[in-house]
Amino acid sequence: MGFFGEDKTLGITRQKRRYDLPLNRSAGANFLTLLIALMTFLALLALSASFALSAMTERWSAGLENRVTIEIPAETKNGTLLSREEVHALTNRVNSFLENHPTVKTTHILTDNEIGELVKPWLGEDMLLDKIPLPGLISMEIQDKEETTLDALQRKIQGFAPHARIDSHETWLKDLLRFTGALQFASALLTIVIGLITATAIAGAVRARLAVHHEEVQLLHLMGASDNYISRQFQRHSRILAFEGSVIGAAAGMLALLAIGWSAGEMEINLLPNFHLSHIQIATLALLPFIAALIATFTARKTVFHTLARMP
Amino acid sequence: MIRFEHVGLRYGIGPEVLSDISFTLEPGSFHFLSGPSGAGKTSLMRLMYLGRRPTRGLITMFDQNVNALKREQLSSIRQRIGVVFQDFRLLPHLSAFDNVALPLRIQGKPEKEIRNNVHELLEWAGLGEHMDSLPDTMSGGQQQRIAIARAVITRPRLLLADEPTGNLDDDIGLRLMNLFDQLNRMGTTILIATHNQQLMDKFNHERLILDNGHIQTEESKNWIRRKIEGVF
Repeated sequence: MGFFGEDKTLGITRQKRRYDLPLNRSAGANFLTLLIALMTFLALLALSASFALSAMTERWSAGLENRVTIEIPAETKNGTLLSREEVHALTNRVNSFLENHPTVKTTHILTDNEIGELVKPWLGEDMLLDKIPLPGLISMEIQDKEETTLDALQRKIQGFAPHARIDSHETWLKDLLRFTGALQFASALLTIVIGLITATAIAGAVRARLAVHHEEVQLLHLMGASDNYISRQFQRHSRILAFEGSVIGAAAGMLALLAIGWSAGEMEINLLPNFHLSHIQIATLALLPFIAALIATFTARKTVFHTLARMP
Repeated sequence: MIRFEHVGLRYGIGPEVLSDISFTLEPGSFHFLSGPSGAGKTSLMRLMYLGRRPTRGLITMFDQNVNALKREQLSSIRQRIGVVFQDFRLLPHLSAFDNVALPLRIQGKPEKEIRNNVHELLEWAGLGEHMDSLPDTMSGGQQQRIAIARAVITRPRLLLADEPTGNLDDDIGLRLMNLFDQLNRMGTTILIATHNQQLMDKFNHERLILDNGHIQTEESKNWIRRKIEGVF
């Protein structure tokens, strides 16, 4: 039915929904998009760093769980160097003892090549293994890593190999885990701060636009628009800007990660795990634009409601 | 029913621009609001379209005490009021169509209904060729017709118009007054603020006369009317 009560079909379809307020024509929109892109870029890097640290920690912790290393030094306490054969003989003797000990599950004597791989990060690729006095190393898995068990084991071993040392890796691992934990906390904090900066920027932009379009907002109110109706316009606008900016920032961040991964691979840093992200971690990073859009929507809504509450 | 009881309004710490205003508009009534410039007509209209709260007194609209309503409750009352502003207050970035469609969209009407009603009303108002035009590209008279179309598109229960025929030629002004009459016959309460004596004489509706912030009594109305007509 038409306005005067007649049934009419008037042809043209107007599917395209417009903003009641000219929000999409604001010059500040590009600045906000750029800002959100930069913030997303930083957030993506911070989160990736956190993921990498987490992978590193996990690898180190898992690799050393219930594992201890027994070192038979090539040098005695009084400074005498043992020959390679003497070291091997002593190592084999300790290994035989361990194999028959009830708390020991498995043992493995590291070959010279394996030891060479371990010292390569410090001494370089082209070291001459023959020229270096290498210790004997036995990696073993035990039932439990209690301090009393290890102490008892060490005392027994030292009965026939006085210089042998048991390294449970606890001391350096604890420090390392504490350090990586602190870095992870810093990454998380950085991500939160980036989120807060983004929310503050969006709130500022929304407040500015409310001030610029005060007359139009008042007119909408007088026509019966609820705060919710007006807020939806700002929410939609902020959501689109945040999503666009965030997609750009996330894409740039992914490219930066690829570059970092490539250059880390080129450097061949043997101490560090390979820099690669799991599917879940990539999915989490891909969620960033949606999270940014959510933050923008929520912030815009809160800001609009807070500002409109002061109007009659 | 619209009822004002001893209503006063002041802006900030200034003097009262409206004092002790009391009147009743019965449902379906048609009134002119007249008075000299600066008498407070616009302020009174502002109170009626809930653009401001009164400083004192009681306003009842559609059986609800407006003073006691919370902000969020006012929107449903405002949706029952159509307003034609003296300065039109069209949204410059929206086409004529979208300006007129705005109140219907605010009320959440379906797009098909909006399309039909807005087309028909704009055609009727002689703006069928200008539906996609922006207000700034249109004449004052055309803008005024858009403003009027926007005010009546929802068939409001109360229509407030501030000098609605000011920029229109006699023929179109007459057509729009006939539209107001038609709406009035359909039950809309109408209040038109105007200086146009000829208009008030032609359409013999009740008059509220405002002078110096007061609604005048019957005895003083004739004196004020002559003042408006420039007899003194």
